[in-house]
Amino acid sequence: MTGPTRTLMRTLGTVASYAALILAAFAALFPLFWTISTSVKPRADTFVLPPRFFDFEPTLRNYEAILATRGFAQIYWNTLIITAASTALCVAVSTLAAYALARSPGFRSRGALEVGLILTRAVPTIVLMVPLFQIISRMGLYDNHLMLIVMYAAVNIPFATWLMTSFVAQVPMALEESAAVDGASRASILWFVVLPLILPGMSATTIFVALLTWNEFLIPVMLAGNNAKTLPVFIAGFISARNLDWGPMAAASTLAILPIALVTVIAQRKLVSGLSTGAVKG
Amino acid sequence: MPRAMPRGLSLEQATRRLAVLLVLPTWVLLILVFALPLAGAIWLSFRNETLGSFVTPRFIGWENYRGAFADPRFWESIRTTLFFMVAGLAIQLPLGIGLALLLHRNLRGTAFFRSALIVPMLLTPVAVGLMWRFMLDADFGIINWALRHVIDSPPNWLGARIPARFAVVMVDSWISIPFVMLMVLAGLSSLPRGPAEAAAIDGAGPLAIFVFITLPSLVPVILVIVMIRVVDVVKLFDILFIVTQRGGPGTATQTLGLLTYNTGFIFFQTSRAAALGVLLTLMVIPIYFIWRRVGRAP
Repeated sequence: MTGPTRTLMRTLGTVASYAALILAAFAALFPLFWTISTSVKPRADTFVLPPRFFDFEPTLRNYEAILATRGFAQIYWNTLIITAASTALCVAVSTLAAYALARSPGFRSRGALEVGLILTRAVPTIVLMVPLFQIISRMGLYDNHLMLIVMYAAVNIPFATWLMTSFVAQVPMALEESAAVDGASRASILWFVVLPLILPGMSATTIFVALLTWNEFLIPVMLAGNNAKTLPVFIAGFISARNLDWGPMAAASTLAILPIALVTVIAQRKLVSGLSTGAVKG
Repeated sequence: MPRAMPRGLSLEQATRRLAVLLVLPTWVLLILVFALPLAGAIWLSFRNETLGSFVTPRFIGWENYRGAFADPRFWESIRTTLFFMVAGLAIQLPLGIGLALLLHRNLRGTAFFRSALIVPMLLTPVAVGLMWRFMLDADFGIINWALRHVIDSPPNWLGARIPARFAVVMVDSWISIPFVMLMVLAGLSSLPRGPAEAAAIDGAGPLAIFVFITLPSLVPVILVIVMIRVVDVVKLFDILFIVTQRGGPGTATQTLGLLTYNTGFIFFQTSRAAALGVLLTLMVIPIYFIWRRVGRAP
């Protein structure tokens, strides 16, 4: 190939790359745009064809309807508090296990633990629900916040442990050895040497687990009633209504997505590097 | 390196003792939420418990399993699950790898595109499912409005068997492609540049470099992706619950997981559902052996 042809080819390649990226970004973002746009549309403009993209009078009526729903504040609060508590529990427990898995190749119960973790990740939660629904009802724990917190934490443990193990493995062993030589106890090595170094990894893991917990649907739809109801269950409730009320539904969805959007904007670098680390070095 | 610890143990020995303690909380949670319910499911699967029945529950041996195997809906649900896996991967792998390659070129604006492209995997699946239902509506949905410019009668996405299956694959892919993309992107950035550069100097074109150098070195990452996606299709619930309203139309999108749910919580056949659950568990066990080969990735 001659010089000019090569330059032309390269330019064409770049143009094609941008075209593909723009198309993909459009496909990724359009449903989000459509949700938000539907949430601020007057009812009459929601169902018209051709669809109204921008030419409508924005209104907050759908949000007013949602916020006026009885129990909505309670539902939002439930979701926040369960997400916070369950994420904290999950990340704490997983970090301890991750330290063991990353640092001790041959501790007792390691093999069984690995099998347990992978099966917990692989076995569909619905399988566990059949007996759990009975057990939890009989123990009087149905619709109980604490039960949900423990359940959510447990189902996310395999993923969190996997991520944290790769973060712990990156801390040089030599640091711990020299602290030990200096006479530091095992606990203080963990607390003062290892913990500060894995904090970035822990915050990435926390964000991921919080996302999964915030979005969790199967557990609360089966095990929570009105008292501990969470946002995804509330949103799903819109489909059982005979007349699908898309406006308020879109408003509720937007309210569910809002915290995720905030976290993503703030922590997007962390999200990407977190998953990348876990993916390749795990 | 026998370095002295306070109690006269080597660091390695001390770590080993500590490790047993550190994994205790994990064990407690796994036993409470995973092992005990699984044992309960096995126990239930040999009984004849149904909700609201007046028959005294008793052990009936393998009856529930025989019943499951004799039920055409069981086999249909397995075929449906396999279809979602195969069709999903056929879409998600090429697109995910393609997008990762584009991002890996590090063109100006890559940071923006990367943020935009990971959005689908972060959103609440229930909200996403409802929005897709809205967009896929046969009459006033925006997708068929757009399609009507190209074809005369676009498919009734959620009202007919085959289109509904493709609709599920489409929504599942929309959510999962970002995950595939991020995994491949991580794989790409850990590859040494040397071999590709050497091939380029020897006159290999971009396509040849991709097929003979990049793709083979991505095989481990792709195996991990396939494994995780297979598991996640078996676990697929939110999307099916919302988009096709628990496997509709009819049983067109009813996976084995959803059949378990419908059997147990719509038809209240608790013990039959438990048997289906045990079968489902047996089917995912091979994943463990694949995982052992490709590395740690729960």
